[in-house]
Amino acid sequence: MADPTDSTDPTTADSSDTNSNDGSDGQPRDPTLRRPDGGAVVENDRDAELDRGPFQQWVSDSISHPERVYRAMFYVAAIFFLFTTLFPFYWLLMVALTPEGQLQDIVFTPNGFNPGAFVEVFQVIPFHIYMFNSFVIALASTIVVLVIASLAGYAFGRLEFPGRTPLMLLVLVISFFPPAAFFIPLNDLFNTSFAILRPITGDGTLYNTPFALVTPLSAIFMPLAIFILTTFYSQIPDGLEDAARVEGTTRLGALFRVIIPLSAPGVATAGVLTFIAVYNEFFFSFLMTDGQPENWAPILDGILAYQGQYQVLYNLMAAASILGVIPVAILVVIAQEKIVSGLTAGALKE
Amino acid sequence: MARVQLEHITKRYDDVTAVDDVSMEIEDGEFVTFVGPSGCGKSTTMETVAGLTQPTEGQVYIGDDDVTNLAPKDRGVAMVFQNIALFPHMDVFENISFGLRLRTYDDEEVHRRVEQAADIVQLEGMLDRMPDELSGGQRQRVAIARAIVRNPDVFLMDEPLANLDAKLRVHMRTELQRLHRELETTIIYVTHDQAEAMTMSDRIAVLNEGRLQQLAPPLTCYNEPANRFVAGFIGSPSMNFIEGELVDGSLETANFTVELDAARLPKVAVGDAVTLGIRPEDVHLTAYADSLAAPTEPIDAKTDVLEPMGDEVFVYLLLAEGAAGSMEEDPATSPNQLLMSVTPDTEIEADQDINVVLDRSKIHLFDAATGEALVHGITGLEGPESGTAPTEAE
Repeated sequence: MADPTDSTDPTTADSSDTNSNDGSDGQPRDPTLRRPDGGAVVENDRDAELDRGPFQQWVSDSISHPERVYRAMFYVAAIFFLFTTLFPFYWLLMVALTPEGQLQDIVFTPNGFNPGAFVEVFQVIPFHIYMFNSFVIALASTIVVLVIASLAGYAFGRLEFPGRTPLMLLVLVISFFPPAAFFIPLNDLFNTSFAILRPITGDGTLYNTPFALVTPLSAIFMPLAIFILTTFYSQIPDGLEDAARVEGTTRLGALFRVIIPLSAPGVATAGVLTFIAVYNEFFFSFLMTDGQPENWAPILDGILAYQGQYQVLYNLMAAASILGVIPVAILVVIAQEKIVSGLTAGALKE
Repeated sequence: MARVQLEHITKRYDDVTAVDDVSMEIEDGEFVTFVGPSGCGKSTTMETVAGLTQPTEGQVYIGDDDVTNLAPKDRGVAMVFQNIALFPHMDVFENISFGLRLRTYDDEEVHRRVEQAADIVQLEGMLDRMPDELSGGQRQRVAIARAIVRNPDVFLMDEPLANLDAKLRVHMRTELQRLHRELETTIIYVTHDQAEAMTMSDRIAVLNEGRLQQLAPPLTCYNEPANRFVAGFIGSPSMNFIEGELVDGSLETANFTVELDAARLPKVAVGDAVTLGIRPEDVHLTAYADSLAAPTEPIDAKTDVLEPMGDEVFVYLLLAEGAAGSMEEDPATSPNQLLMSVTPDTEIEADQDINVVLDRSKIHLFDAATGEALVHGITGLEGPESGTAPTEAE
């Protein structure tokens, strides 16, 4: 911020005055003395304050106190992220509240006020059934993932066995596969009729059942949960497991009574991540059912159902989207409390 | 209440043998301590009793049952761990009742037994606390209560006092002895602290490098150690060891000679190398030797360092002319150094030339090659057979 008018700036004049008045350095400084970069040469900090504009001053302060910069960077980044994540929600709310047919040129406020859209979503289509379907599918996948990943995490984290590292790597490698690569064979499989499944699904296929979503989605999100739980379970001291086993549990009993409760933050993290991931999943959710609510179609199909051949009910889509977020939001709030209140291993001396 | 029997227990890991062919029998109601240096296999041996480790070879019996392949929960054992291992997510009541709640006891019975156990270890009124609100000693008592509440057949303790401060440790030591008297349960106790082993046990099992060295009452281990390792491990400060050679009529060491007829020793003959062992309290100043029934010839020595302990003074003696105390040499095994313990009123100072004698009745001889004890006390062994019965060798 080299201001060429600096030399005539009243503050510069003030500075020279001060210098000559207190007489500390005998000679008044030549006000025309300039640095090559255009800034004024100053003898001490006081001159600096008087010589520079507020921004220059802030910069020079920041060089001596870098934490100011870090705080400023934190605010900039935080505001940026808050804006990019929350603004779409705000926009969604505006769209939802705007009565149908008035969606043109809404900027920051809705055109009109129509909270009835949040009721209408359930009247136009049975959106609650879609929500229920999604919820059940996500919950079932989470339970399957947590149970299997707990057993895997116990084995990987607490047992020594030959081939542990290669197996772990295999899990990692599988998690890198694009889920789309599995789709065609899986879709084919789920559309094949198996006699053994007839009593359960009627026609013997898994298509249009929750299994068609729960099985592939559980498998896809399993590796992450295994990694999280392996890390947590491996940190529980051996002594606690030994104590539980001597007291009367099996290894499995020790896992469920001692290791999992003590790894609550890890289990909550793995569970929440899985739930959200399954709930938000698009690809399999879209393709593994025919989109009918009675055929376990998830929320995604519900939202798309407001799109008719001649008309798109954007306000209802927006309202449905907001309603769809609520279960996840509630879950995160609850689980966060669980994670934050994570139990500490205070009773153990190591 | 049960007998514990180990038969040829061996535990091998990939390239290490942690326990090597250990056999022992522990009587019903006995308090046996496994003692030994770090890594000697004492904890592993206990874990095979608890069932937490599967022995590579050998059988474990509790009572009359072979429990080698039973899960820990089916063995009727309870264990107190070195790191205490209370479940941090349960309060004291839940910790103590953990084992009971896994079995089919009704609530009333559980409450009654927990309160009784808490009573024994003096934890009344703390049942609703969380482990992290307790002091070290209280946690230890909770761990003990958790173990006794199930009335186990065998009570296993793996260095339960190791994490307590010195004062509390001495206190808990007496508490444990009292507890043992009260419960009359078989207790197996693991420690590396020989003071704990000496004070509490009915019998001590000394282990080294996975092998059982000696299983005997504490004073037997002290007075008649089975081999050089036990002799050096039990007792503090350690026994002095001096290498020597048997010649005709005497045992010659680098700096002194002890009259001894090799023919009357078992297993060795003239020309063999033996190790002489003598405890610091059995080395005496010549001036005080009158009270000894069988002193050796006086030995010239020079005092090096004095360590007044209050009730006794440890005197480091240099035997050889011009020998100097060296940091590298362990005084207990150096041929030129000898540790003596005297009463604090003895007039003695550093760098003083003195004469000392050894109490012949307290001299131990070990085979230098195998380390095995040959004889404890050599009173009457100085000449040919004279009718005096030699002290029995272990």
